[in-house]
Amino acid sequence: MTSAALPLRSAAWRRVLSRNGWVLGVWLLLGALLVWYSTLIPVFGQFQVVSISKNSLPLVYLAIGQGIIVIAGGIDLSLGALLLLSNAFAARFMDDQPLGIVLLIALAVITGIGALNALTGYVISISGVPDIVVTLATSYIWSGFALWVLPSPGGGTAPQFRWLFTGSESGIGGSYIMPVLMMAIPSIAVFILSRRSRLGLSIYAIGSDSVAARLAGLDVRRAKIAAYAIGGAMAALAGLATVALTGTGDPRFSIGANATLNSVAAIVLGGIPLTGGAGSVLGVVAAGVILIMLNPILSAMGINPNNAQIIQGVLIAGVMMIGGLVVLLRERAS
Amino acid sequence: MSQPVTPPSGGAFETKGATLTDRTRAIVSEYPTLVLIGVLILLILLTGAIEPEYLSIRGMRNTLLQAAPLGILAGAQTILMLTGGIDLSITMIATGSAYVAANQSPNGAAIAILLGVVVGLLAGSANGVGVAVFRVNPLIMTLAMSGILLGLFTAWTQTILQGSTQVAPFIKVIGAGSFFGNLPYSVIVWGLIAVALLWLLRRTGWGRLLYAIGDNEVAVRLAGVRVWQVRITAYTVAGILGSISGILLAGRTGAVDLQLANIFLLPSVAAAVIGGTSIFGGVGGYTGTILGALILSVLNSMLTFLNVGQDIQQVVYGSIVLALAWGYASLTRSA
Repeated sequence: MTSAALPLRSAAWRRVLSRNGWVLGVWLLLGALLVWYSTLIPVFGQFQVVSISKNSLPLVYLAIGQGIIVIAGGIDLSLGALLLLSNAFAARFMDDQPLGIVLLIALAVITGIGALNALTGYVISISGVPDIVVTLATSYIWSGFALWVLPSPGGGTAPQFRWLFTGSESGIGGSYIMPVLMMAIPSIAVFILSRRSRLGLSIYAIGSDSVAARLAGLDVRRAKIAAYAIGGAMAALAGLATVALTGTGDPRFSIGANATLNSVAAIVLGGIPLTGGAGSVLGVVAAGVILIMLNPILSAMGINPNNAQIIQGVLIAGVMMIGGLVVLLRERAS
Repeated sequence: MSQPVTPPSGGAFETKGATLTDRTRAIVSEYPTLVLIGVLILLILLTGAIEPEYLSIRGMRNTLLQAAPLGILAGAQTILMLTGGIDLSITMIATGSAYVAANQSPNGAAIAILLGVVVGLLAGSANGVGVAVFRVNPLIMTLAMSGILLGLFTAWTQTILQGSTQVAPFIKVIGAGSFFGNLPYSVIVWGLIAVALLWLLRRTGWGRLLYAIGDNEVAVRLAGVRVWQVRITAYTVAGILGSISGILLAGRTGAVDLQLANIFLLPSVAAAVIGGTSIFGGVGGYTGTILGALILSVLNSMLTFLNVGQDIQQVVYGSIVLALAWGYASLTRSA
């Protein structure tokens, strides 16, 4: 190694660090929380890893979907309702079916709901109604459909399908390989799509400045519709993960609304600003796991689960306030 | 978004019908409130066709009882949306205030209402400080506040707020009682608040600053306005409105629980949006929001009378909200 290459390399490293500072920070926070959690409980092993990773799956999927849409400059309040729809549809039609048919249904749900949300993206781009308003309205429509498909909690799925997401056919215990894989594969796929493909780059471009993107010759409408389609497909995946986790379907409106709000919290904690065009879906994965992990950590500390809600809220507000303060101080300094 | 200007069509092709629709379009985009009033009347008549009893003050009583708290919550959203903000914790503030009011009801209605409003004052100003001073995105700040309040009140119901979940008789009268036979008192409360809000937004410097901040915050700051102070007061006022709405709701149901106001969160935003207030700030007003709240409440009554399942109700509700927002956007854009 020559001495000339060293400063060059460290400069490149510094650039990578400063660009991905937030993502690295969130992953470090997750690592620290994991280490802390392992010292809090007597035995930390496969069981804990399985339970944390599988319980995070729905939120992580939903947050990745929300992340892509927010990067494209939108926001989707209907993702939770799409989760409900996917969950209800899967639980109703997968019940007592062999694995082959279950997988076909899963595929149909993912493409179908992806297409539904692409339609939402199309409506947003032709109507000129803000994203938040259109998706607010569609959130009612989709949760109505979910109730229509599955009027009351129930239904089921194939045991092998549960194994696919949870690593165990009964949904209890099992190996950590499946849930970790199921978290990693879609996350990495969407990450590569967003950073390395033409479509992904145009999604960042329209979120950053849609007028400049249009003047540069990008098809803004196509990129927006694609972002909503990916978001919808991820919400469908979240619904499938829910049916695999719980073994049933539950179409209650409040579940969807909470899931939507948590997905927004996860993306902001994961470093995607709501103004769009920046951030990375990898940070969102860690943020989603952190939000889910808070509950077992707090109960291991002997804190009333009701207080977990308070601490989660304080954590989100606190992190964002520190972020805001840093920006403020930088502005003052310059 | 600017649309390319269509060249005027040749005189030979211009028909009388086209100019007539153009003129209606012009009138409609000048006075979008007229369209909302039209939609409201249409919905009332439709509901009347389904349930003839509805076309009387007695029949509309339930709609008005629902419209009053919704209209007040939507008023809070309107104020904040004008500045480019939003409050997702408003229904949790309402629920919390109702809880405190119920808990303090044995000490008399005045103390109960006062302490209930304090909840909104505190939570609202905390939101304001987070958004204005620490520059947290309003969506996130109020979402976090909603979680904090839910946790606090869930814990407090087992400790310091243990006891009464029934509200004082006076609050029940305000929330559900009627005068002149069937006109609810809560509508009077809403009316007073509406007059106050309309006056604040149209006639005071504070109201103009709300519009100005939503339109161009940098310009307002450069003009020497302490933007953060205006924002904090806006969130505080919104919190107080949330409290009042929560206490009215508690009076209507007579007892409180932690789900009391939750269902009003999305409608409160929807009412303001249907009424023409832009979610990006600077455009809108409370007149439209009042109509939006009435439209949504009548719609709700209609769906109840139709006696269809919850599923169909949600689909119809969502579709109509979308159609109204879409129609409004295309009408005002063509101006």
